[in-house]
Amino acid sequence: MALETALLIGLLFGCGTYLLLQSSFVRILFGFIVISNAANLLLLSMSGSPEGRVPPIAGRDGAPMVDPLPQALILTAIVIGFGVTAYLVLLLYRLFLDQKTTNAAELFAEQDTTERT
Amino acid sequence: MNLVILPLLVPLLTAVALLFWGRPSVGRRTLAAVSALAQLGIAVWLGVRTYQEGPCVLPLGHWAAPYGIMLVADLLSAVMVTLSAFTALMAVLYGFAELSPRIEHPLRLPLMNFLVAGINLSFLTGDLFNLFVGFEVMLIASYALLTLEADNWDIKQGFPYVAVNLVGSTLFLCGAGFTYRLFGTLNFADIALRGASLASDPRVAALALLFLVVFGLKAGLFPLYYWLPNSYPILPAPLAALYSGMLTKVGVYVLLRMFGTVLPHELSGVHTLLAWLAGATMIFGVVGALSRNFIRGILSYHILSQVGFMMLAIGFFTEFAFAASIFYIIHHIVVKSSLFLIGGTAALLNRTDNLDRMGNLWRHTPWLGVAFLLQALSLAGLPPLSGFWGKYAIVVEGLRLGEYVLVAASLVASILTLLSMLKIWNAAFWQAGEDREVCLWDWRWVRMNRVNLSMMLVSLAIGLGAEGVFRVATRAAQQTRDQATYAAAVFAVTAKGSGERP
Repeated sequence: MALETALLIGLLFGCGTYLLLQSSFVRILFGFIVISNAANLLLLSMSGSPEGRVPPIAGRDGAPMVDPLPQALILTAIVIGFGVTAYLVLLLYRLFLDQKTTNAAELFAEQDTTERT
Repeated sequence: MNLVILPLLVPLLTAVALLFWGRPSVGRRTLAAVSALAQLGIAVWLGVRTYQEGPCVLPLGHWAAPYGIMLVADLLSAVMVTLSAFTALMAVLYGFAELSPRIEHPLRLPLMNFLVAGINLSFLTGDLFNLFVGFEVMLIASYALLTLEADNWDIKQGFPYVAVNLVGSTLFLCGAGFTYRLFGTLNFADIALRGASLASDPRVAALALLFLVVFGLKAGLFPLYYWLPNSYPILPAPLAALYSGMLTKVGVYVLLRMFGTVLPHELSGVHTLLAWLAGATMIFGVVGALSRNFIRGILSYHILSQVGFMMLAIGFFTEFAFAASIFYIIHHIVVKSSLFLIGGTAALLNRTDNLDRMGNLWRHTPWLGVAFLLQALSLAGLPPLSGFWGKYAIVVEGLRLGEYVLVAASLVASILTLLSMLKIWNAAFWQAGEDREVCLWDWRWVRMNRVNLSMMLVSLAIGLGAEGVFRVATRAAQQTRDQATYAAAVFAVTAKGSGERP
């Protein structure tokens, strides 16, 4: 179980990194979504193997519970990631409206970074 | 000690109140200014209190450590909160001088307050996950402010800033997960206690390297700084002052906190790496500054070079070096924000901040020139200005440790800093040319210059009263590095669940 999760996380990080390194901003957005999910999965795997453990519900006694803290962290991280993704989509749309392209190679093609008034 | 939450609560409530107030008006501005002033008062009070009594701890929700969420204010946090309140106050006042309420964007003041709330949460939090939340509050507000008033040219510079910081946040989240697995806790004090037995574990060193990447990215450490020099120049002057003063310094603060208070002190390999990266940051930053030809661009690159000095002191990892780093942070935040504000005033007067088309400022506005010259020389490190003392302490400590190459790099960086500051001075202030108009009729510069001059006075006071400031910095460094006292203060709080350690 742990090995499969580790492989899946590695695969997601690999795909996400590949997408982040593309010149199209839309792909960078997708890359961010993929690696944020990979990070959430990583957090989940940090609570250890769930086999033989019961859900963390207060008042039950006996069997060992799954560690609830990573799940709380993931919940917070998902909410934050959702908000940021929404912002990024809007920024991308604004960029597209202004520049008629979202490709970094075209956006920064004629830019001279040493001069700006 | 419920008052520890005020530096967080006041800006949040102000932001919400300003949002509901709606349209910019004189009354709304008064509220913002009064709130900023109140934050400064609270922060100074917190500083006095922590100087005398050591760390103040507030368990939120009244759950004891390590279960509950802790706000911990020690002297370093209090100093940083004071600096953020001061910078925010100056930025708010400068913004009032620059824009009339009619053309002010209604979201600017609320977002600035959210930004300050995020920064203060990062300074005051006592656990790693709330540090992540504080970072996110700060970063989301900073994304919004960065693109709020951006025009078509500016907006595309914003995207790399957002994307790079998002990747940094994701890595931070992974780091929090690893920390929880490794130490079984996210509470700083608890990690410090449990870390003692794990000091030689290679996983701790790997975790420290991951944090070095995450916070080095936020602070602008070589080779992770490339997002900064292009994105900061698109901000209006008061926001640029706030960003340049505080945002990268949050990264520096967290590195001080992580290496000083949280992680075991035995990670000497990571510290050496940090020192060498800092040396590279100083040189590359200042060379970048020399290559630029507009004031905001030059100043943005200088942030990197200065961050290098602070990081170098952290990398030396002695108590004196920590004190030097904290002194340098205090000096840098005041001087750097003030230089951005002065640059904004100069750009208003010349209607451009491209050095090829500026000039005549010294003849028409000598006080602006005085302010610029003092701050620029302070940045370069001429005695008796504030920058000299910080650099002096770092160089002395470097020589004592025998790090001659790094000391040489810092001296070269200082000389090149002076050179690039003189470039601005020669082109914008000294140079006379009939075609370079100075728009003195634009009366806004008079009020803006008052803010500049008051910041200059504060900076002078830091330089002339260096002994007192250094005493505060030394005390802060002692508290930061004293893991046992920090942990004891956190665990001494009695609340629900105290005494039940697993």
